[in-house]
Amino acid sequence: MKILIIEDEPGLAESIGAYLAAQDYLCEYATTWAQAREKVEMYRYDCILLDLMLPGGDGIDILETLKKQGQQDGVIIISAKGDYENKIRGLHAGADDYLVKPFHLPELAARIYSVIRRRNFGNHNHVVQNELKVDLLSKTVTVHGSLIVLTKKELDLLLFFIGNKNRVIAKSALAEHLSGDIADMFDNHDFVYAHVKNLKKKLSEAGYGNYLKTIYGTGYKWEG
Amino acid sequence: MGRMKKLLDQSLRPLVIYAFTVLVISIPVYFLIVDWIWENELDKHHHAIREKLEKRLTRLSLPDTAVDNMIAALDKVQPGFSFSETAAPRPDSLYTVIRFDSFMNDREQFRCLTTDIRVNGKLYRVLVETNMEEIDETILAIAAATVFFITLLLIGFIYLNRKTALRIWQPFYDTLASLHTFRLETGKAVPLPASDVTEFADLNASLDSLMQGSLASYRQQKEFTENASHELQTPLAIVKSQLDMLLQSQSLDAEQMRIVEQVYQAINRVSRINKNLLLLARIEHAQFEENGQLALDQTLAAVAAQFSDRFENNAVHYAENIEPFPIEANPVLTEILLTNLLVNAVRYTPAGGDVRVHLRGGKLTVSNTGPTALQAENLFRRFAQASGEHAGSGLGLAIAREICERYGWQIGYDFADGMHRFSVRF
Repeated sequence: MKILIIEDEPGLAESIGAYLAAQDYLCEYATTWAQAREKVEMYRYDCILLDLMLPGGDGIDILETLKKQGQQDGVIIISAKGDYENKIRGLHAGADDYLVKPFHLPELAARIYSVIRRRNFGNHNHVVQNELKVDLLSKTVTVHGSLIVLTKKELDLLLFFIGNKNRVIAKSALAEHLSGDIADMFDNHDFVYAHVKNLKKKLSEAGYGNYLKTIYGTGYKWEG
Repeated sequence: MGRMKKLLDQSLRPLVIYAFTVLVISIPVYFLIVDWIWENELDKHHHAIREKLEKRLTRLSLPDTAVDNMIAALDKVQPGFSFSETAAPRPDSLYTVIRFDSFMNDREQFRCLTTDIRVNGKLYRVLVETNMEEIDETILAIAAATVFFITLLLIGFIYLNRKTALRIWQPFYDTLASLHTFRLETGKAVPLPASDVTEFADLNASLDSLMQGSLASYRQQKEFTENASHELQTPLAIVKSQLDMLLQSQSLDAEQMRIVEQVYQAINRVSRINKNLLLLARIEHAQFEENGQLALDQTLAAVAAQFSDRFENNAVHYAENIEPFPIEANPVLTEILLTNLLVNAVRYTPAGGDVRVHLRGGKLTVSNTGPTALQAENLFRRFAQASGEHAGSGLGLAIAREICERYGWQIGYDFADGMHRFSVRF
């Protein structure tokens, strides 16, 4: 899977690249508007991470060029502009997703995973992890062929883990993912425990191996 | 431009006091003058009478017995005269006396002259007296007249002062009324009425430059907040992502993980403050223009549902009583308002406490258990939170108030029966 990271902050671009590289993504970088424009015109990517404020131009132009050419690359806008006008403008121009800085890398990885999955699998959208199978259309999960019933949040959590396989995820990243806008209003993320515990219990009761590890009580890791 | 007028120092009080004092002092002065004039005239008159009497009696060249008879007759008949023979001459004496007069049948005041006249070599002591007005009656009459004029003067003062002061100060009241409508948030100075009075023109000019100055610094401050927040977003994003990377390191031990976790918390808090500062700046910039018809009850229920995890996790009993109520407002802002009120309630409710949400007749009440009342005047100010234990952004309620002010909703706080109650009247 090829990812293009269009981001002028080297520190940020570097950590995004490093995180994704460990997920077996192949990352390329563009740090200016002109560079980004050139890469987008010459190569195809599974997903493009697009910063809007670039030296030399507005990131939206690059998105519009892509769409005009009928390219199918997935695009996730990563921007410091968190207002609704910009979000709507970005999504309207054809972005698949819009992530406001600062964000957690696992959140970004989960969204990239979701964008690529949607583009590549069409109507037969299954995720298979060892003995686990998730049907994303019917939102059902089976282990060894037998159905297990998950709540919406547990399913969400499961997909988040799968999108961040073999990576340590901070509790606050999970909390932010699970409760959206209100997550960052609280410092206490204990409710994450309850959801993770329930998910683990349901999976292990259905005979799924113990792939979900807790790291020193503050992080989680899905080993696959 | 017409002729500039100087505004006179207008004050009724010292004028009244001054006029009163002058008029009161005038009472004894008038009396003394009137009394002096009167006595003086009477004394001159008495001396003249004495001269005439002596001359006429002497000119008649009557025999002694006839003189005696005439004097006896005068003594008896002529009012105001009394005669008596005397041996040795004595100096004249002028005096005033108050005595009972049998003819007037009253107390009367007399001006008297006792003098000697010599007729046919015989010396007579003569008393000439004239009835004059009594002192007390004179004073009374003068005082009455003075009081009458004081009253007249005061009524005139008050009436004229009120009439002229109103006219003179009208531009001032106009300016004041304009100033009352001035709001920094609108970003516009209010027009002040023109005046041809120097002081008012001066005042208005100063106020205008004051408003312009305030607006400029308010604008600068807002821009600064917004720019600073924007500038912070990127470094924050780098720190956050680098932390996520640090977490991947295989060599982290439990203690290091704990440190990373604490850094996460701190960085999340900074992000939260930054996000809210940006939001405040945007609300002040009057973004979020579009309004829509909203079912407040549905929005409220949807927002409250997001908190179910928190209620469960914090062992908080949640109860709601929501009646349908439509409003017209920006949906995003409405959601932020409701979210902030609920976040506040959840954050400060101790485990086992209650959170209640009521919406009835356009009044929303969010109440939660709490030990003591909070300081209402500080509550809605930025960064005014009471304690450091709770890691709020310190901006949630300030944002709530900002949103309410924008729509003219009334937000309030009170404390009763161990419950904090935040209410919004839509």
